[in-house]
Amino acid sequence: MKIILPIILVIATVVLIAMALVTSGNAAGKTVGIAVGSAFYGLTPKPTTPEQALSNLLLDAKRRNWDNAFASVSTAQPVDKQLFVQDWTGSYGSLRSFSALEGFDIRPLHITNEQALMRVRLHWTTPVGPIEDLRDFHLAKEGDIWKTVWPKSQVPNVPSQVIPVTYLRWDLVSAGGDDEWGAKNIDAPHVRIISMNPSDFAEGSVILGEVVNEDTIPAFVNVTATLLDASGNAIDEETSFDKIDHVLLPKQVTPYRIDFPGINLKNVKNVRMNVKATLVPASADPVIGVMNQKVDADFQGKAVLRGDVFNESGQTINIPHVIASLYDNNGKVLWVADGYVERALLPQTSVPFAVEIPKNMASKVQNFHVVVNQYSMGRN
Amino acid sequence: MRPALLNCGFAGLIMCLSLASWGQNITVPTSAVAGEPATLSIAGSGKATFYLIGPGISNKHEINLGEDIKLRGDVLRNAGDYRVIVCSDSCHSATFFVTAAKPASLSFLVHPSRVPVSLSDAVSGVAFPFDRFHNLVLSPVTINFQLSAGNASLLNRSANTQAGVAWFRTASGKSAGALQVTASVDDLSAKRVVQQVASDPCNLRITGQRNATGILVQTEPVHDCSGNPVPDGTIVSFTANAGGVKSTVDAPIKKGIARAQIDASGAAVISGASGVVMGNELRVGAR
Amino acid sequence: MKSMLIAASLLKFEKQRFGLLAVLFFLALTHFSAGADAGPKVQLDAKKAGPRAVESLTQNAIVRDYRTAWNNMAHALESNSVGPLDGPFTGEAKTWLWQSVMSQQKTGLSRRYVDQNHRVEAVFYAPEGDVIELHDTADFQLQILDSGKVVQEEHVTAHYVVLMTPSADRWLVRHLQSVQQF
Repeated sequence: MKIILPIILVIATVVLIAMALVTSGNAAGKTVGIAVGSAFYGLTPKPTTPEQALSNLLLDAKRRNWDNAFASVSTAQPVDKQLFVQDWTGSYGSLRSFSALEGFDIRPLHITNEQALMRVRLHWTTPVGPIEDLRDFHLAKEGDIWKTVWPKSQVPNVPSQVIPVTYLRWDLVSAGGDDEWGAKNIDAPHVRIISMNPSDFAEGSVILGEVVNEDTIPAFVNVTATLLDASGNAIDEETSFDKIDHVLLPKQVTPYRIDFPGINLKNVKNVRMNVKATLVPASADPVIGVMNQKVDADFQGKAVLRGDVFNESGQTINIPHVIASLYDNNGKVLWVADGYVERALLPQTSVPFAVEIPKNMASKVQNFHVVVNQYSMGRN
Repeated sequence: MRPALLNCGFAGLIMCLSLASWGQNITVPTSAVAGEPATLSIAGSGKATFYLIGPGISNKHEINLGEDIKLRGDVLRNAGDYRVIVCSDSCHSATFFVTAAKPASLSFLVHPSRVPVSLSDAVSGVAFPFDRFHNLVLSPVTINFQLSAGNASLLNRSANTQAGVAWFRTASGKSAGALQVTASVDDLSAKRVVQQVASDPCNLRITGQRNATGILVQTEPVHDCSGNPVPDGTIVSFTANAGGVKSTVDAPIKKGIARAQIDASGAAVISGASGVVMGNELRVGAR
Repeated sequence: MKSMLIAASLLKFEKQRFGLLAVLFFLALTHFSAGADAGPKVQLDAKKAGPRAVESLTQNAIVRDYRTAWNNMAHALESNSVGPLDGPFTGEAKTWLWQSVMSQQKTGLSRRYVDQNHRVEAVFYAPEGDVIELHDTADFQLQILDSGKVVQEEHVTAHYVVLMTPSADRWLVRHLQSVQQF
């Protein structure tokens, strides 16, 4: 009796391991996460199918095993290994530089005897939360194995130049010495909420609107909303978090969105808004243009607002953050969408962006306005 | 002299009566001014313990009954109520008040620190007179308020304090620049500075021309409706619509003008806005 | 034997009754002692405040923070500790109270404020809302203690001129000056 239980446990363990090794993890035609036979290092299976070849590459990229990953790439056309690695690890302090590939879902789009097109959903873990990236990979058969055809990397070609920085900068000096009442008087920046629209969304509700800095100095802005019931008691209080451009220069307008998951507006009788503005050092540089904005469908058929962010200044923007307000034909804010650009924005160059528009709102969008929040190392 | 008030609930009526009659042995000042010495006299003979409890002070001394007690000015520097308790066989007490001395400083609060020009009731100030020990002077004091921008005087008004406070409210001036605000009592004064800044941009006009890389748009010198130049750093949003595609640049004003490069190859309609103020529209032909 | 048992049970009953009476006696003592205090009561009348009207949320905050200030002040002066003064006080009020505590520590004195009742009237509210002046008619039982022994106990009706200023998340008492009358 004493040894029966340990024997049963050993047998069960062995069976479970064998099942994991044998089962492909296929779900509805997709290859998910860690691929077959690759649970153990050094046991990379031969890429005899396009799925296996791509899985091997993605797994090596996840493990940052760049030699093996690069070996999965087709050499039919020259590929720079450093640029290949940079494509995965990011550069110039971009968001990708601080991210890690968590997993992937592969779905074949088109496979012939010699060519294959695979669509991959990459799951990244980033400092700003999980990000999903959809990418198409082209594979070709070379001999009896499949290899990934790596696209030519687009390196921005910016001529060397000296760009003077002559934009205004504001510094904040804190007063020291005795606290004589009334002597040290610098008012907080004057900001105003210019619109506020509550609406139900998905399983909860949201508050959307815009804020303007009416002052002549920069302001660090945060918007908070408290939902009140019929008795005036607070149901919930939330802030705009990162769905707002926090640093507003004079006369600058930013959208904001405050999410209330799980709370329906039918229980809400009143909303109390609070906008807090504090003094903050800031610079009018860099200037970022948002070019070629338009609403159309991505290759999954989802409505997106896409465009290019262009850095008109001489400073690298490590992590651009795009925030878009979408309006109906009355000028009312329908939705506020945001997205982080994973690549750094080099001086005098542009990088594409796309933010998703909820399906039920896409047809109502008549106009939009995009602002770009930015984080630059060494400046912030 | 103020008789002591005692709660007799638990101690017994006879004891209360006897204590109440002993309270009349302490003679306290009828009026005392902060910082000035005062004298107490306590009738009786023998030794006693003397307590002085007041704002910022709790003293305890052994005294000889029948002698005057001189309180130094620094002991009575804080205005408020002071309790004198003398205990020998039993304790009795008296209370006297110290009032503020003459004004020696002004606490002057002026708002805002920045104000748009030509705005009614935009600037306000509140003044509290305090004596040299930072006691609030509650007796009426006449405070003179003056506002001047450069050589122009915008306000010269006197107000009497009520309950220790005087205040004013007035419109901001027409020109951008520093506004000097002064509150004064006799030879005392407190000065503050309010920055008058330009109001919202007025008649925002933009011009543009095509160049090799797109369209260069810029504003004419940006002023408010009073002609004051809008400060550098103020954001002007340029928007270009070309063939169903939109481009925007938020550009800060630099030396009175905002400028931006917009990427648009086809014919475009360009507009500018600053805050909630819209400018003109501009049509630029295709490349 | 039976009588012994009856006597023993009677004695036990008497002991129990005595114990119950003792407990009730001590409870009564604590009820009438200075330690039984529900905290200061504050009522605010802001009808006459000007030039700016006091918003209802501001009134609630003022009542809350003024009550906290007096509660903390009483605690500081009773326990001779300056810690409670940090939150609700600033400026001259904090300086004077700090001096009071330091002075009491040197002499072994302390004060106890019991059954506080504050009828507060707002008499001035600045146009920008950055200062409010209150007139407080306060009733309380004041005990003066020397090394823990009460040397003076009296019912007091005092008048205070109070200045409060807003900070990040609360109103602070900046000035607290006792006057003979308003």
